[in-house]
Amino acid sequence: MLKKTAIEKISQLAAVLMEKGTLLAPVKEVAGHNFAEINDPQKVDLNFYNTIISPKGAFFPPKEDFIKYKIGKTITEAEQIKVDSKPVFLFGVRPCDVKSFSIMDIHFNAAGIIDPYWSQRRKATTIFGYAYDLNQPVDAADFYNSLGIYAADPEGSDIFMVKKDKDLLLKGITPKGEELLAQLNTLVDAGKDDEKYYEETLKKGKEYKTRFLCIDQDVIAKKLEAVFNNNDFWTKVSSACLSCGACTFVCPNCYCFDICDDTIFGKGTRRRVWDACMFTDFTLEASGHNPRTQVYQRLRQKINHKYSYHVKKYGVISCVGCGRCTRSCPVNIDIYSIVEEALKL
Amino acid sequence: MSDNNPYIPMPVQIAKITNEVDTNDIKTFRFTFLNKEDEEKFKYTPGQFGELSIYGKGESPIGIASSPTELGYVEFTVQRAGTIVPGLVTAALHDLDEGAQIGLRGPLGNSWPIEFLENKNIVVVGGGFAFTTLRSLINYMLYKDNRKRFGEITVVYGARNPGLLLYKDELAEWEKRDDIKTIITVDKGNETWKGREGFVPAVCKDTAPSPKDAVAVICGPPIMIKFTLPVFFELGFSKENILTSLEMRMKCGIGKCGRCNVGSQYVCKDGPVFSLAELDQLPRDF
Repeated sequence: MLKKTAIEKISQLAAVLMEKGTLLAPVKEVAGHNFAEINDPQKVDLNFYNTIISPKGAFFPPKEDFIKYKIGKTITEAEQIKVDSKPVFLFGVRPCDVKSFSIMDIHFNAAGIIDPYWSQRRKATTIFGYAYDLNQPVDAADFYNSLGIYAADPEGSDIFMVKKDKDLLLKGITPKGEELLAQLNTLVDAGKDDEKYYEETLKKGKEYKTRFLCIDQDVIAKKLEAVFNNNDFWTKVSSACLSCGACTFVCPNCYCFDICDDTIFGKGTRRRVWDACMFTDFTLEASGHNPRTQVYQRLRQKINHKYSYHVKKYGVISCVGCGRCTRSCPVNIDIYSIVEEALKL
Repeated sequence: MSDNNPYIPMPVQIAKITNEVDTNDIKTFRFTFLNKEDEEKFKYTPGQFGELSIYGKGESPIGIASSPTELGYVEFTVQRAGTIVPGLVTAALHDLDEGAQIGLRGPLGNSWPIEFLENKNIVVVGGGFAFTTLRSLINYMLYKDNRKRFGEITVVYGARNPGLLLYKDELAEWEKRDDIKTIITVDKGNETWKGREGFVPAVCKDTAPSPKDAVAVICGPPIMIKFTLPVFFELGFSKENILTSLEMRMKCGIGKCGRCNVGSQYVCKDGPVFSLAELDQLPRDF
């Protein structure tokens, strides 16, 4: 089923989705666009390249509350916090970011113990993928083609959206998406020429080229393993790194978290919060021992975890080439270039 | 764990506290479960650990010191941390009295590979405080129904001085038994110490356990491990037959939070027990 709406009427679609559940969509902020919960349908803004922070927070929020407790009360009086089971609509997600969810699914939703929070949020959410605008130039930081992802890839979306001049085309991909699409009465049926445009866009998406590094994931995984002890290399590529962790916070595939107790005036919350392997105390043990005191050791951990360890453990690189880490880095460190350099060793 | 949410601790009560050492900073806590169903679900194997949980302080991953053959409770031997990094949970725990309630998550991690150890001669080597999950293993093997499943058992256990030996009463019991060879040593004795003096590596060399059908299970401070391993290599133990338990900073304990990642392994989930052959496959990043 292919439907359409005028982009200037997007707020009407947003209003309908807000009636049905929680709407997360790109909004314009001071520094650029980010996904946010929509309270005012006029705020939805599809005039963006990609968001500064990835949409992973829809399933893995920066803060996830586990338990509320009171100091002085017994443990049995602590109150477990349930995840809201209201339907969620995640609107306007770029194909590389949609792909990141399926990679995170392996870790949180398939391997070993299932993470109840990720799993419940994922189940409650309908994903509206959104093709990159093929008439706009590719950002120099992007390299999702290297990871086998294309600019107009509908895979993983429930509904996939393509911009056609002043219109937005919406295609049902999964049964869940088809069902929802049929209920959205602000949309109209698309015509034959729209069908053709949609199909052509998907095809043309393959020709919309990002930077490309020929990555055979097993080759790169083994290479990084082999150069692990090459301290000269790691020192060189990390020499500018401030260890600020910005790259990990914007990343759609970084999932390290901390669990902490936040108490104020005798009342507290145990929650998990995003954490980063780039921070000095990340691996600091109670004994005082810390295996990663040096910046190069932490940057090496970040890159190897994504491109080597993750491949060995889960069979897939934990990166989608969205380019956010490169765009956000205050000292212009580029993970793509480091991998490229490593391959030359 | 309530509602099968692996992040929510189950309530336990401190049934007994044993002060293990002269310095008063290592205590064994015996916990009983507040809910019968939690006790039934907490099925563990020696070598596993649990997350001790105190709201307002946090959680600490601690090896299980009791044996699963001991029913109705679970024990953890905990050192008060804090000389270098402030140990909020362990300090709070040390300040609690019998009867207090805390949280527990687990059992977590892999374990000493019991099936692999069966029908083999077991050499247990421990140093200082790192004897807790070894105690669990020894008591498990010594349990009347289990003893025949294992060959000869040799234990070499050392501490810096007699006051720092853990489980002193049990050590004395083991020394009396003829189905386990127990060798206790201290780096330096005192006026009342009648036992052996000497470092663990040297004592292992003197003891010279045969590598034939044998597995060595070694836990201790890095310096002890460093000098003990060459002794076992010289005796002819292969890397597949030397096991140890790894330390890494942990949070979730279930292989999700990424903190204890070393190479392709999460120490909390894929470990903490590894053979030396397995450790050779990992980057030296721990």
